[in-house]
Amino acid sequence: MFYISMFFQYLSQYLKTRLQYRADIFVEFFSDLLSQAINLIFILVVFGHTNFLNGWSRDEIIFIYGFFLVPSAVFSAFFNIWDFNERYIVKGELDRILTRPIHSLFQIILERIEMESLLGAITGLAVMFYAGSRLGLEVHWFDPFLFIVFVLGGALVYGGVFIMIACISFWADARTSLMPMMYNISNYGRYPVNIYNKLIRFVLTWVLPFAFVGVYPAAFFLGKKEWFWYSFLTPVIGVVFFVLSVMLWNQGVKKYRGAGN
Amino acid sequence: MENVIEVTNLRKDFKSYSSRTGLKGAFRDLLTRNYKVVPAVNDINFLVKKGEMVGYIGENGAGKSTTIKMLTGILTPSSGQITVNGMNPHKERERFVQTIGVVFGQRSQLWWDIAVQESFRLLKKVYKVSDEDYNSHMNHVIQTLDIEPLLDKPVRKLSLGQRMRCELAAALIHNPPLLFLDEPTIGLDVLVKLKIRDFLKEINEKYQTTILLTTHDLTDIEALCERVIMLDEGKVIYDGALKNLQEKWGEGKELQFQFLEKVGVSELLNLTQGIPVKWEQDEKEQIFTASLEDNDELISQVIAKVVAAFKIKDIKINETSTEEIIRNIYEKGAV
Repeated sequence: MFYISMFFQYLSQYLKTRLQYRADIFVEFFSDLLSQAINLIFILVVFGHTNFLNGWSRDEIIFIYGFFLVPSAVFSAFFNIWDFNERYIVKGELDRILTRPIHSLFQIILERIEMESLLGAITGLAVMFYAGSRLGLEVHWFDPFLFIVFVLGGALVYGGVFIMIACISFWADARTSLMPMMYNISNYGRYPVNIYNKLIRFVLTWVLPFAFVGVYPAAFFLGKKEWFWYSFLTPVIGVVFFVLSVMLWNQGVKKYRGAGN
Repeated sequence: MENVIEVTNLRKDFKSYSSRTGLKGAFRDLLTRNYKVVPAVNDINFLVKKGEMVGYIGENGAGKSTTIKMLTGILTPSSGQITVNGMNPHKERERFVQTIGVVFGQRSQLWWDIAVQESFRLLKKVYKVSDEDYNSHMNHVIQTLDIEPLLDKPVRKLSLGQRMRCELAAALIHNPPLLFLDEPTIGLDVLVKLKIRDFLKEINEKYQTTILLTTHDLTDIEALCERVIMLDEGKVIYDGALKNLQEKWGEGKELQFQFLEKVGVSELLNLTQGIPVKWEQDEKEQIFTASLEDNDELISQVIAKVVAAFKIKDIKINETSTEEIIRNIYEKGAV
């Protein structure tokens, strides 16, 4: 209960910060919207040239791509921890976090909320509706609910992996270039996994399970029965990875060395 | 009186590696590293009672900040026990920090872009402080620190002195019985310093707040603390009353002379032969300092002799300052 109320308190703090800069908020909103529009056009142009990939039609691939954008927007809005090492470890901001009576990871997530990233979800939905209508997909009564569950599962997978990578900073004091590499790898999740070879498929399913952010849950809505088992595994994998990452975090905080003054 | 802080055999080791020289060394570092275990805090023990104001002093790198960070639950000790407010700071961190206030002079608790009162409001929620408690306690704090007119300004528009006063108020929102201050007056002007000191004295009297303070400004310590704990290379080298330190080490007095004519140290030495006095010459070659025992007879003798022999521009009699005492202690390395 306390944590839910804290979430809204920090959210209002974030909004106040944003509203401080009136001109900025309009410019940013406009430029975000514009970049999403460009993104949308880009997707349609790129996929205009592909027809069939290992049993997936052009529109199905676009649909998966659109789905992927939604959990990844949720991820960028709430797990803004790509600069964790520099901001919290090197600059020692974690000192401040650790003197407050809220779980440290939760505080960092709250502090770094970036709601404008959620705009990406709109693009994702637009892409899905475009591809879905071309494929003639029907919307069932349970689809919206499963959609929310799958999106949350995907965002947790994403978040879990990135939290684990951030945790490396607790043990190694050097800066790691793993974060940008991981962003690249995460992009593989937006294409059908059976176009890759077995090893990559295994990695994307069980080790860095980005396939659960895009292709597996999207396959459910596309009615691909052979993938259903994976689709329903999405929230499970999400919770498992997220719990593991929090456990790793709790261990890591004990190893925190602090920054010198 | 109950103990607020109990520290026994506390130790914190940092593992650091030393790099080898040259390109060849850099390649070897890649494969195997020379690790060195450096104790930042080395088997320290102390107790702090409720309502005490303790100065925690030491040179840069003596282990002050490391100790404070272990006491506040930020760092895990390598070995030893800490009990603060009856809890183990690191193990029960979230419950524990509810009972302490922390001010790091070089780090901000406040949200940079929004008004100070918004930060206060959020911290009030974070520490689950009721409206009643907040109003009765914080109104007083805000008045004493004179930050009422600053409350609706964003933090980034405040001067360092203004910000520091707000930081202090922010650390006290939950009225903690124990307050840690790490360099709270760093870079502040005299007036702000005085205001902060008066305020700390006041809350110490009013709420019996225990205060542990680290600072490089010894005038803070003189003004506030009866007790000091002195640290050197991770070890406690003195723990006791500040007064004792002054009595034990500040025995001598200093006479400073400035002459109208040109005088050499040798002439002064000749003049005061037979009297136990040490002469020093200032770099500007104008001021001569005689250090001697705190003995009225001797002091008068020296002054009489010097005044009779040379034309004087200025004379000063100084007691050894705390700063000098502490410098002496560090140079000799023991108390």
